[in-house]
Amino acid sequence: MKKPRVCVLRTDGINCDEETFYAFEKAGAECKMVHVNQIRSGSEKLASYQILVLPGGFSYGDDVHSGKILAVELTSFMKEQLESFVEANKLVLGICNGFQVLVRTGLLPDRKIGQIKTTLMANDSSHFECRWVNLLVERSHCVFTRGLEGSLLSIQVAHGEGKFYTDPVTLQEIENRGQVVFRYAGTDGRPTVLYPANPNGSLNAIAGICDSTGRILGMMPHPERYVERTQHPNWRRMPADTVPHGLAIFKNAVDYARQS
Amino acid sequence: MMIQEVRVTNLPELPDSKGEKILYDINNALGIQSVEKVRTARVFRFEGISEEDAEYLAQKLLAEDVFQEYRINSPVLEDADVVLEVAYKPGVMNPEAASLLKSAADLGVKGLVAADSSWNYGFYGSNISKTDIDRIVNSLLVNATVEYVVREKPKTLIIQGTPGPTEIIPIRKMNDNELLNLSQDKLFLNLEEMKVIQNYFTSIGRDPTDCEIEIIAQTWSEHCVHKTFKAKLIVDGKEKEPLFQRLKEATEEIGHPLVLSAFVDNSGVFEFYDGLAICGKVETHNSPSAIEPYGGAMTGSGGVFRDIMGTGQGAKVLASTDMFCFAPPWMPQEEIPPGCLHPHYLLRRVVDGVKDYGNRMGIPTNNGSVHFHRDFRAKPTVIVGAYGILPVATCRKGSPKPGDLVVAMGGRTGRDGIHGATFSSGEMTDRTIEVNASAVQIGHPIEEKRMFDAILAARDEGLIRAITDCGAGGFASAVGEMGSKTGACIALDRAPLKYPGLAPWEILLSESQERMVLAVDPANWERLQEICRNYNVEATVLGKFTDDHHFTATYEGRTVMDLDMEFLHNGLPQRVMQAAWKQPSLAEPEVEPPWDWGELFARVLGHLNVCSKEPIVRVYDHGVQGTNTLPPFDGVNGDGPNDAAIITPVYGKPYGMIIAHGLNPVLNIINPYYGSLWAAAEATANAVACGANPAEMALIDNFIWPFPDEESLGALDLAVDACVNFSRATGMPFISGKDSLSSTYRGKDGKVIKIPPVLCISVFGRIPDITRTVSADFKKQDSQIVLVGYRNTGEMAGSVYYDLLGIVGSNLPKIDPVALTRVYKALHRAINTGKVLACHDLSEGGLAAALAEMCFGGGLGATIKIDEAEKAEFFLFNETAGCFLVEISQNTDPAETFGDIPWTVIGKTVPAQFITAEQRGETLFSLNLEDLKEAWQRPMKEVFRS
Repeated sequence: MKKPRVCVLRTDGINCDEETFYAFEKAGAECKMVHVNQIRSGSEKLASYQILVLPGGFSYGDDVHSGKILAVELTSFMKEQLESFVEANKLVLGICNGFQVLVRTGLLPDRKIGQIKTTLMANDSSHFECRWVNLLVERSHCVFTRGLEGSLLSIQVAHGEGKFYTDPVTLQEIENRGQVVFRYAGTDGRPTVLYPANPNGSLNAIAGICDSTGRILGMMPHPERYVERTQHPNWRRMPADTVPHGLAIFKNAVDYARQS
Repeated sequence: MMIQEVRVTNLPELPDSKGEKILYDINNALGIQSVEKVRTARVFRFEGISEEDAEYLAQKLLAEDVFQEYRINSPVLEDADVVLEVAYKPGVMNPEAASLLKSAADLGVKGLVAADSSWNYGFYGSNISKTDIDRIVNSLLVNATVEYVVREKPKTLIIQGTPGPTEIIPIRKMNDNELLNLSQDKLFLNLEEMKVIQNYFTSIGRDPTDCEIEIIAQTWSEHCVHKTFKAKLIVDGKEKEPLFQRLKEATEEIGHPLVLSAFVDNSGVFEFYDGLAICGKVETHNSPSAIEPYGGAMTGSGGVFRDIMGTGQGAKVLASTDMFCFAPPWMPQEEIPPGCLHPHYLLRRVVDGVKDYGNRMGIPTNNGSVHFHRDFRAKPTVIVGAYGILPVATCRKGSPKPGDLVVAMGGRTGRDGIHGATFSSGEMTDRTIEVNASAVQIGHPIEEKRMFDAILAARDEGLIRAITDCGAGGFASAVGEMGSKTGACIALDRAPLKYPGLAPWEILLSESQERMVLAVDPANWERLQEICRNYNVEATVLGKFTDDHHFTATYEGRTVMDLDMEFLHNGLPQRVMQAAWKQPSLAEPEVEPPWDWGELFARVLGHLNVCSKEPIVRVYDHGVQGTNTLPPFDGVNGDGPNDAAIITPVYGKPYGMIIAHGLNPVLNIINPYYGSLWAAAEATANAVACGANPAEMALIDNFIWPFPDEESLGALDLAVDACVNFSRATGMPFISGKDSLSSTYRGKDGKVIKIPPVLCISVFGRIPDITRTVSADFKKQDSQIVLVGYRNTGEMAGSVYYDLLGIVGSNLPKIDPVALTRVYKALHRAINTGKVLACHDLSEGGLAAALAEMCFGGGLGATIKIDEAEKAEFFLFNETAGCFLVEISQNTDPAETFGDIPWTVIGKTVPAQFITAEQRGETLFSLNLEDLKEAWQRPMKEVFRS
């Protein structure tokens, strides 16, 4: 079967590109590193890919707001390409900085480029935080989490601006439409707003959301850092046949792209 | 031109976490209670655009109305009792400015010529005094070296200037006094060296230009040439080989088959697997960090990363380490010497710098340590390491060919870091901050990251003949060193500048960060340019490598420098230096047995040198690159510390790279020989404890020593002997190293503070299969806890236990590296066969601290029996490195597991959350794990508000 093609979008300061590349390849995709400049110059086109991933990092130093400078660049130069990409029912994944970019382009939550309705603020602790957290997978339309609903994933977060925030009306809309994909949870599996299980103070413990179609996913935690058993800090305490928790997210994306 | 101001704040009903953090520090670190609330705002300034365009930028770029509001050309936080603005000083590069220009252009805003950003702080509280504000400004918000309080709106954001002329220095006519005056505060050379320069120019019949005198001073600085390490030593009247020579010879004699490059390149290179090599380099950045800790730590990280990138034909950076020594963070302000910054501020700002550089570069910081001693109050020790990976085929240092282009890549050249190399080589004084303010700058990790991306792409296409980083000494050092065997000619006016006005010598010497120099075959230049353009990286041909063995520089067509490479690199006379270490008069006291074990155990765990450093580790991204397979902390609650980092640099392969280190400044004060052996043992024990093979690892030395007077040099001589003896006994070669001999503070009144001599030993190596490695957390109940290794528990000098009693002592641990090697081999065998469930080495806090940490990680208690012949407190708190606590299952036979090395089963793991110790049939103590953990975690939680 033909491997789905993944565009791993890079630019100045993106730094989780290689592990994201590896995660998708391991899940069965064919990846290419594409620099934003290649799209701006026209030497690469989004249309050649089935999946677009915006990896983590500090695009342009996270100057002004995290992900903002890249979001401005994408909405200024790639608006049409992005719109036709999502209209073609293709998949978009934004991880950490990529999630920040997606909310700042407006692709999340409503797929309306230029309309910023949600944001990711500085963590309540006011500092960068790198730790493993429990993620409760919500029931949603999200194609990336098919079959994972209700499970608890152990995934690492690493960010300083990850507090999901929006106005009460939008929050209710997102909740009602089942757009919340992940929530930070305690060891008991219940969503929590308490630090450090909720590392940033996100509203409703939200760690990741999708658009109404479930084909655009943004999440602060880093599933690409857990696609091998030995990447988990406690793999020595776990059974040897443990399946790494991040891998299914990439496999779901690859499976979906392969079928469509 | 008109400047538009945009101010952005969080909506008043929303929290301001930055403001809350500052409030915490005001209330706690400064003890000022008059401030009740702090709010912050961003300030953006744009020159050359209209108010409408500023409004457009505010809406599209600067403010998000979901959570923020903005004002154009009017103040914010008006309800605060005091509002002030803090900005970078004009001329200090603000990395955000370039992003503002980029986005404005992307949004189609025309006419913008300059932009800047800064912060507004609003303080709330009716009783805030001017003194309070002054202290907040000076101790918390503003580092006067790079920042200032903005009192009025700037008239322009553009930095202007015209370059000064190239001056001729009439050195031939100078008398001794004039030579010394020329040297002071600028060249940092001694009279003999100044005279060698004088003689050289007399012999060629002309006076030098400022470029020439500066480049000689720089090339001959202690920082660059390591005069002391290359000096002929007279130790106690007897001549000994130079220090550097001894280390190098030991490595050559060992002839380790995995060493690919030692001491010749920017880092040491060691064979890995599948045609790949790993490399390591560790640097100090004490002087800049002492006066501007944030910028200093950032540029320290940036520099050591470039050392890795500048190895062979380019290496990918895999990991970063950081080791710090500070005075205790709660030291009273009046005990801090004039001209020095408070350790509480230093510690937090250094951590911020390491965090911001490493995290943004995407380089995991996954190994490190922090040590505290009051004698670091005059100058901290800041050590940063980096490790990388590269193909064996391109792992050896390249040499330029005549005709190759001299290519400068990366950031632009500014007035940053002028005299950094010479300044780092001088002593710290109360004038240091004033005189050398230009020697620090704010790093720009994104510039470095994109440059690295471009270099790796160029390397993979074979476009690079040779590469080196622009560190201390800037172009002068990088080009001068690369072209030392050929010659080089560069045009200084071709170098892209951050702003106009740099004199030729400033361009030559500038230590602006994020720059590298490449030797490139002219046939490859076009392709290299193309790659650089795609990565938004600037690359410029400065000139050519020649075959005339001269280093020549021109500026606007005029020759401003023409020096014989031979004189530049070999003209410096070898120093002859006297060394004689004096044994300090330290008593070994009789110590009363402890009476409150609970309190004692908690105080040991809460000692600054033992306590958990988790709040620091958590702000470093130690997971980026997805390579971590033994993280800094793990265990049931993720808070049990490990001894070393193991990363898997090649995705999908079982290959591991071990990284660890060891240092202990206190022991070196007592006895530098045994103190240094301890550091080497601690470093390597950390690696072996995790399962690394002692036969497949290499060492890196960093000597951070007081100014080398006779006594300090005597101590250094012993420390180097210890390293050499350790290396020969264990077969572990030193393959890279650095010395920094300026840890001395000289006050205005002539008072001298010698900072404790620090030897940091770093170790890295390869592991064929990471599934045969162990972590430190206890894995299950009813396991046997085995103490392994040689120790004499009476050797308590320098221990945390003694420190709590206010004693130093003289009887310190005396480690025998030959015996240690046997222990390492046996332990490695045991771990490799899978019999070991957990292992932790003994260091600060001794067996007690190691045991407690294993319990914290495993969520298990432990019961131990102390032999009746032992003094219980010595048994528990002795700190002999190279000893281990090992968990093996209850059915495993320890005799078969460890063979003929010393081992004792001291107890077992239990489900009850207590550590219990018995001796002579009596319970000494039974202590609750939760209380112990609280004591262990509290100190850094308080400093870092986590």
